[in-house]
Amino acid sequence: MNLRFIDWIWHVRGSVPLAPGQSSNDVFRKIDPLFRERGTRHETSNDTLTFTKKDQAAQDKMSVFDSGILWVENRIAGSVMRYHLVSRALLFCFLAPLLFIGFAQLTIALYKPDKPAAEATAAKAKKTLAKDMAMPLNPIDKFLGAPEPDKPKDGKDKPAAGRNRKPSPTAAYVFASLFAILYVVGRILEDVLVKRLFMRTLAGAPVVTASDLHRPYQGTV
Amino acid sequence: MDGIRVGNRVIGTQGPVTVGWENIPKVQGGPVKQFIFTWFQPAALFGLLAFYYYAPNSIAKASTAIGIGIGFKVLLLGLEWVNPRYASWRLTWKELVTDLFYVGLGYTILRIVDDHVGSDVAIKAIQHHFDMDKFKWFLGLPLLLQAFLISFIFDFGQYWMHRGMHNWYPLWLPHSVHHYITQLNINKGAVGNPVELFLIGLGIGGFFDFLPRAALLAGALGMTISIYQHINVRFNSPRWWRFLFNTTEHHSLHHSQDYEATRSNYSNSYIFIDRMFGTCIDGEAELLGLENGRRMSIREQMTYPFTEGWKTLRERFGRQTAVPAE
Repeated sequence: MNLRFIDWIWHVRGSVPLAPGQSSNDVFRKIDPLFRERGTRHETSNDTLTFTKKDQAAQDKMSVFDSGILWVENRIAGSVMRYHLVSRALLFCFLAPLLFIGFAQLTIALYKPDKPAAEATAAKAKKTLAKDMAMPLNPIDKFLGAPEPDKPKDGKDKPAAGRNRKPSPTAAYVFASLFAILYVVGRILEDVLVKRLFMRTLAGAPVVTASDLHRPYQGTV
Repeated sequence: MDGIRVGNRVIGTQGPVTVGWENIPKVQGGPVKQFIFTWFQPAALFGLLAFYYYAPNSIAKASTAIGIGIGFKVLLLGLEWVNPRYASWRLTWKELVTDLFYVGLGYTILRIVDDHVGSDVAIKAIQHHFDMDKFKWFLGLPLLLQAFLISFIFDFGQYWMHRGMHNWYPLWLPHSVHHYITQLNINKGAVGNPVELFLIGLGIGGFFDFLPRAALLAGALGMTISIYQHINVRFNSPRWWRFLFNTTEHHSLHHSQDYEATRSNYSNSYIFIDRMFGTCIDGEAELLGLENGRRMSIREQMTYPFTEGWKTLRERFGRQTAVPAE
């Protein structure tokens, strides 16, 4: 199968128009500070810049990408810098919903409703505890106006509170949906952000690296 | 770096830290902003306590608490945006996805594991075989005292579990992954190797399910105090607050790149437990993490305790290579 049909999931491609008369050397010199981040290796040869990143800093402007190629194309209409970037984070986010749907299926399989023995045990436990719930409120709480606890019925129809509830697949479905939304947001956002970063850097804006963000040290040590 | 002496220890020889409240920056901005970021924490604590104390039984239940918990986290994410402590801790898309992945594990697969082999199993066994009449005296206590005792007992256990993780290599291995985080954000508390998340999830919460209102109040205490450990918001926490409770300042010091500073501020909510045992240091740090702030990938976070443990075992017990005599 040709991966090009699906690799847009984690590959970001684009181009940035260049000012007339800029050579590839000029372009790569301008964007060079972007690749002076921790964990980043880059090299330039034959009008092409290739880079790889490992354990990139969280505030690295290109932290979402793990490798990529940038090159300059000279056309009649004008020169452009093209790029092809690869992001494992985007792929991970794309696949995460499948993982959480898997967790939902596992929950359904493990907590089938036809477990009479477990239900009987739970009902027995609740019955024992229901007796204790009949305790009256402390006089201080009565004075302050806290509501009286519900009178226990027979312990059968009382819903279990907190962590003693059975795990439900709902949480897994919620996270699957959340990652699907995050993927769409990330795929669009990171595409836009990296294009804007290249355009601004090529226009001469100063590059703020991850280490530049740290407050100048003023403390006692 | 020379470091600064705090009691018997010298803090900050390996990484920059700020020690002492007087050296910590204050909230910048107008009087409204100053007011909000000074009183937000106490207002949220007392507001939520009052809500759970007075809410009718039909509202004071676990599902409400889950909803409020999620809403509160979203609000705090907004505060991170409005008033960040450090620009170098800004939440990015990648950081958000990573953090939420671990939050998701906690709500799904770890919940199942805990239900089968974790503290929930032990608690159920105790509840079935223990004479609950012996706990009647506890039920007669005022609700807020019940809630405080539940959260204090839990935090006391967490303190020793956490301190154990920093002092015993087999426990440090899974916990070390959490110390590779390089910035604090609201969901960073969930980031770590699943083995550690399982260990730290061991608790007594399920034991108090028969006290629904006290359990909710205890949950509210935890939510409105310990949640600020991992947050990128600058607060002017009142003096009494930072004396009693763990803050971002305390916890950032615990996550700093200075080894000696990491061996402090172990508690979850009640920093006075650290004060009791001499492990509290008041201060903060911006540069966080291990190996000079190397950010670990999710893949490495999953395998690190095992690969590192195997490496250590081989070093200690592996066959010695014969060194040829000269």
